[in-house]
Amino acid sequence: MNQMTSRFAPSAAACAVPAIAFDKIRLDLGGKCVVDDLSFSVAPGEFACVVGPSGCGKTTLLRLVTGLLSPTRGTVHRLGAFVGGPSPDVAIVFQDYGRALLPWRTAAGNVALALEAMGTPRLERAARAAALLDKVGLAGHGDKYPAQMSGGMQQRVQIARCLAQEPRILLMDEPFGALDALTRQALQDEIAMLVRDSGATALFVTHDLDEAIYLGDRVFALQANPGRLAQVIDVALPRPRDQLGTREQPEFLRLRHVLFDHVQNTH
Amino acid sequence: MSRTRIDPVLRALPAWLVPLAMLAVTEFAMRASGIESDGLARPSEVATALLGLIGNGEIVLRTAETIGAVTIGVAVGGTLGLLLGVWMGLSPTAARLASLTVELVRPIPPVAIIPLMMLIYGLGIKMEAAIIAFACFWPMLLLSRDAVLGVEPQLIEVSRMLGLPRRQQITKIALPAALPRIFAALRLTLGIALIVAVTTEIAANPIGIGYAIISAGLSLRPEVMYAFLFWLAILGWLLNTGLVAMHQHLFGAAYGEAPR
Amino acid sequence: MNNWLLRAGSILLTSVVLLLWQLVTATGLVRPIFMPTPAATFVDLWRGLTQGDLLALTMSTMQRMIFGWLLASLGGVLLGALIGLSSRARYWLSPTLELLRPLPASTLLPVGIALFGLHPQMLLGIIAFGAIWPVLLPTIHGFSSIEPRLREVAKTLRIGPLAFALKFGLPNALPDIIAGMRLSLTACLIITVVGEMITAQQGLGSTIIMAARSFRSTDLYAGIVLLGVVGAANNALLGLLEIGLTPWRTART
Repeated sequence: MNQMTSRFAPSAAACAVPAIAFDKIRLDLGGKCVVDDLSFSVAPGEFACVVGPSGCGKTTLLRLVTGLLSPTRGTVHRLGAFVGGPSPDVAIVFQDYGRALLPWRTAAGNVALALEAMGTPRLERAARAAALLDKVGLAGHGDKYPAQMSGGMQQRVQIARCLAQEPRILLMDEPFGALDALTRQALQDEIAMLVRDSGATALFVTHDLDEAIYLGDRVFALQANPGRLAQVIDVALPRPRDQLGTREQPEFLRLRHVLFDHVQNTH
Repeated sequence: MSRTRIDPVLRALPAWLVPLAMLAVTEFAMRASGIESDGLARPSEVATALLGLIGNGEIVLRTAETIGAVTIGVAVGGTLGLLLGVWMGLSPTAARLASLTVELVRPIPPVAIIPLMMLIYGLGIKMEAAIIAFACFWPMLLLSRDAVLGVEPQLIEVSRMLGLPRRQQITKIALPAALPRIFAALRLTLGIALIVAVTTEIAANPIGIGYAIISAGLSLRPEVMYAFLFWLAILGWLLNTGLVAMHQHLFGAAYGEAPR
Repeated sequence: MNNWLLRAGSILLTSVVLLLWQLVTATGLVRPIFMPTPAATFVDLWRGLTQGDLLALTMSTMQRMIFGWLLASLGGVLLGALIGLSSRARYWLSPTLELLRPLPASTLLPVGIALFGLHPQMLLGIIAFGAIWPVLLPTIHGFSSIEPRLREVAKTLRIGPLAFALKFGLPNALPDIIAGMRLSLTACLIITVVGEMITAQQGLGSTIIMAARSFRSTDLYAGIVLLGVVGAANNALLGLLEIGLTPWRTART
């Protein structure tokens, strides 16, 4: 509890300008209202998780932040600025890593893609890509093609590519949904560390309630048809968290109970 | 369902104006400039020539010659290829034993056989059918072999678990499972047969649509040449569209979309 | 069964076929005018290559084929990229392309002759133009079938249109392009041979049809064998090209 407050205390002034702010968002897609009257904001450096049933517009929220989509009504602000389109400050990790990597580029080549887009000088790219792969635990796998890697490894490449952008906002769309349980836990701990080290703001979408509580500073629960904000939960669990200890704490179990009840009721 | 089928057609409709507009521009430009060429014809002249060819029955005759050669060629070459291909698919040993011979003979371009068949059969429908048979034999052999090899191994395992005798494994499981791909192979083979037929006619054989095209060109009647070309394009399109529709009708429900 | 045994059996079968060929021809079962013995064919082939002009004729055919193929590939890829990357161009041009597609490339020969008359550049132009279709259509498909998720990746990384074409479009289309180039090379060989037959320009096509007309069957068989070798060489070349250009498709763990 104290740890969390202490983490935000120095930047209390900066909290006045949220990293991400949704203001009375409404979004219609194909004549159907996907998200309606949604407002919330995420503070700089915060790790925010979004949970909810399928069809509640979780993924849509991330698209709105990237600028790949624009809301029908309402506004989205990013670091205090109106969202006009994609920006190098914002990186997104897609769930379907198999489709989000260039199959014709090696792991190092895929990371280098972001460096090329950032205008990193040609000579520095190889070393930077290697360092980033090292950071996500893929040292020595740089010259493998995606087809030669496991799902977990491919997702690590995607994370490394996002880190290459040195983003101030990191968006993640159910990044571990397709992975096996052990790989998922390992990656959860790694992503928590990487985000903390980079100081980026994280918006993490998942359907896994445990994952949301384990990773998040706050959890936003949405309801479906149309997507609206249903509940916000502060996660006052100390960091660093660990897979066994944290998940056994009474507070974790209590939050899990609250969220679970909520999801049950809104279905 | 019906909506999804009609919609793409309707949506593509304006784009069909492009070829029409190109024809109109050609017509207009040629009229305006007064060009007289041995190689060009106004679209209106081509249309008149086409009507004339339909009227005097020449187009029917030429088409019958080409289609006749295609039918005989595919019946002979395609059937042989199919039988050997299915056999090779069922028996990998046979496939391995024949592989070197196949690899040595297959790369010979069918057009290289034209002079040989001229030598053996002289000119006429027989030599053309023989060339088509040679050209159709290889794709049919390889594609039907792959069709049988491509049958889901689990299906074969199921048939084994059911204790079906080998003969029934083939007739009840392997062949029905390979059927859509074999039909797709037939479709491809028919396309090749039409191309080879017309090419043979252009190169040497004085029958059919191909000969009509080149003789019209050489006797400085471009409008007749383009009329036959136009008809050939329609014929090719009809053949493919018809076979795709047939594939859909035969296998659509059980096996899903036809590959285009 | 044993791998080596199968390979030996495969060679044995080919030998048996050759032996049968020798038997039916040497015993006079088939008249040598229709089918010379394999021995006579290969002796003639060897003599033609070392002493006659068969090598020069093969080179002239291959030169035409390769030049036409390179022109067709270049044109097909450039045009295909432009059409494939623009959904608007694709929409407006696809019916026209659909109409032209079923026409056999060899029908261009009479049109070319009627338009431009008989000369070497005309033949090369027709080879290139006729062989462009097999490259053009797969290239359009390759450039337009980029995974939507990758388009989003390109957008979030703010990759410009030219870089997108080179880094996303081209590699995505490359397998299709190579498959198209394979068909195109086959088409080039066919149009070249037929073109030589019709226009009597120097090459294997005109040589074999002349041989058939003057009943020189060993020359004819030698020419057919050479064309088979050219066809096989084409396949081998494209196989190498495929491995060299698309390593990610052949690489496995």
